[in-house]
Amino acid sequence: MAFAVNNRGAYTMSKDFIQIETDVLVVGGGVAGSMAAIPALEAGLKVVICEKGKVLDHCGSIGCGVDHYLTIMDSGPEWDTPEFLIKHVPELTDGIVDMEVAGRVIREMPRIFRKIESLGVDFRDRQTGDYYRLRSFGLPGTYHINFDGTDFKKHLGERVRKGKATVLMRTMVVQLLVKDNRAYGAVAFNFRTGEWTVIRAKAVVLAAGDVNRISQNASGLSFDSWHIPYNTGDAQAMGYHAGAALANMESVEATLTPKGFSCQGLNALVSLGAYFVNKAGERFMFKYDKKGENARRAVIADGVINEYLLGNGPIYLDCRHLPQDMLDRMEHTLQVDRYTLPAYYQQKGVNFREELVEVSVSELSIRRSGVYFRGSGLAVDTNGETAVEALFAAGDCATVSGGISGAAVLGHIAGEGVVQRIRASSGSLPALDLKALAQIRAQSEAHLQQESGLPWKDHEETTRQTVSDYVGVRRNDRGLRMALDTLCALAKREPTMKADDLHGLMRVHEAKNIRMNAEMMATASLARQETRTGSSHFRMDYPKTDDVNWRKFVIVERGANGPVTRTLSTDQPLSAAFSRGNTAVAA
Amino acid sequence: MTTAKKEVFNPIRINPETCVKCNLCDWICPGDLIYKEEDNRETLPVIKYPDECWYCGLCQSICPTNAITVVFPEQMIHNKTEVITLLGKVAE
Repeated sequence: MAFAVNNRGAYTMSKDFIQIETDVLVVGGGVAGSMAAIPALEAGLKVVICEKGKVLDHCGSIGCGVDHYLTIMDSGPEWDTPEFLIKHVPELTDGIVDMEVAGRVIREMPRIFRKIESLGVDFRDRQTGDYYRLRSFGLPGTYHINFDGTDFKKHLGERVRKGKATVLMRTMVVQLLVKDNRAYGAVAFNFRTGEWTVIRAKAVVLAAGDVNRISQNASGLSFDSWHIPYNTGDAQAMGYHAGAALANMESVEATLTPKGFSCQGLNALVSLGAYFVNKAGERFMFKYDKKGENARRAVIADGVINEYLLGNGPIYLDCRHLPQDMLDRMEHTLQVDRYTLPAYYQQKGVNFREELVEVSVSELSIRRSGVYFRGSGLAVDTNGETAVEALFAAGDCATVSGGISGAAVLGHIAGEGVVQRIRASSGSLPALDLKALAQIRAQSEAHLQQESGLPWKDHEETTRQTVSDYVGVRRNDRGLRMALDTLCALAKREPTMKADDLHGLMRVHEAKNIRMNAEMMATASLARQETRTGSSHFRMDYPKTDDVNWRKFVIVERGANGPVTRTLSTDQPLSAAFSRGNTAVAA
Repeated sequence: MTTAKKEVFNPIRINPETCVKCNLCDWICPGDLIYKEEDNRETLPVIKYPDECWYCGLCQSICPTNAITVVFPEQMIHNKTEVITLLGKVAE
């Protein structure tokens, strides 16, 4: 295979691969990826973004707009300062948090908030012209701005386009290129055209979001998930294979949804005053937390799980006590996050203003376990760089995560970190190993040749059922080992998976990534012999929280025969476990 | 474990009378489910992978002629699942 330079200089073609040379490769064009691209573009770097969707105008996690944004504003009162919120982070995360990285994210919040405003996002209430700030999810202040963020992501995408980033749409990255613990690009394919691309880059940012389609839900439709089902842990799986460290993978996240439709909206509901009641009509949430419905998402979900296990279900959403103006705001807000929610209620024939709405615990996901600032995913330092040099991560795939604003702030930090890393680096990138590249493509395309192989839907269903049964909200040693046996046996069948077309090939890769994440979750869950944050990591055989022995991170890494774990005291940042050292490259 | 063959529910109804065959629904679908033949104003969009729909409604929201309606299936509208069945098994 021969590469030839074309008249655009950066692009070359062979019969097997399009080759792109760039400074920065960003995997995922959501909030974190776009915010990482922006400082790199501002520094004059060439940026390539690979995105499985086709637009940069919507959020990667929720697909639509944004209805709330968590930030410090430094508006005067003590609670609105970074130091006040930082002081509360240990209790918000039950002590399992990288305080160095969380501290930087919180301190950078006001700066990034103002920057997003400068990009054209209007966070002010349309009627009052002021910020409408609400308290929710256990936070010690009214940090969430409730606003009409329908166009929030459009403004970020517009800045990326203006910066002339190259955006490869309908393109899935399948493998990172790493040599001597340094990332230098990735291999991707376009699932509409079948074109394969190798992107050689001085730094790579992974911003491909959380892990969905990993457990069963009420509707039984695997793509009916709270967060976008096309986020399938691609970054976590690729980072793992590349040698990066992951942490908090044992923690799962669930939310509450109208039963039958896994959709967003819990934040708006609780911050605007909704109640949850059990079948006896009892408002039970105060049994589980003194903040009631204003508790952390993890506690709210845990409360409902416990009520169901106690036989107190069905559980209902109750908005009947709210004044009309609040219900109007709620109705408007809910459709910003999920455009189809009003249509759902209409087709269901339910008026949530006047009637109880039955709720369900959603499917599980790997994200940030219902708490702010403790992400489950790729461990990063204060520059957003992982254990692999020049490989960065941000958003819901990183170990400090905080919804949209967490993605925006850590994304921007990672983008600035990329600039510093590239400026501090010297020497040329490794040459492409053409034989290895051809093998990556051949192994992938072999799925298209399988006529009677394992369908990706069956593969995924096995993962989902295994996670639901034994790696979900009731874990014990035996169940986790049974789950690992099933998941490892499933991995052995992966070479036989079949894809009917290019779209199916993309789903095959997603299914493998979901399974890989499930294996990491089960492995980390087995290691943490205690219960932490209720149902986020509930070990029936170790039902107590053990602060004496388990104020530790469980770190997952690639071993010779699959994931292996080790622990690190939470007195240290996760970067202390990095073999490249824990010193972020200096500005 | 095998996936049972069953009739796939179509989550999106496209009105052929009002659809202007513009490609926007194909362009915006985050799941790569809607395929519209480009540069052909005669053909309607096709929901190629209906069981992979997220019911986000972005196609409906962007449609310039309101030709798209998202329709929820029975198991989402009138769900009969016992929530406790989602809460795991206890391995003895």
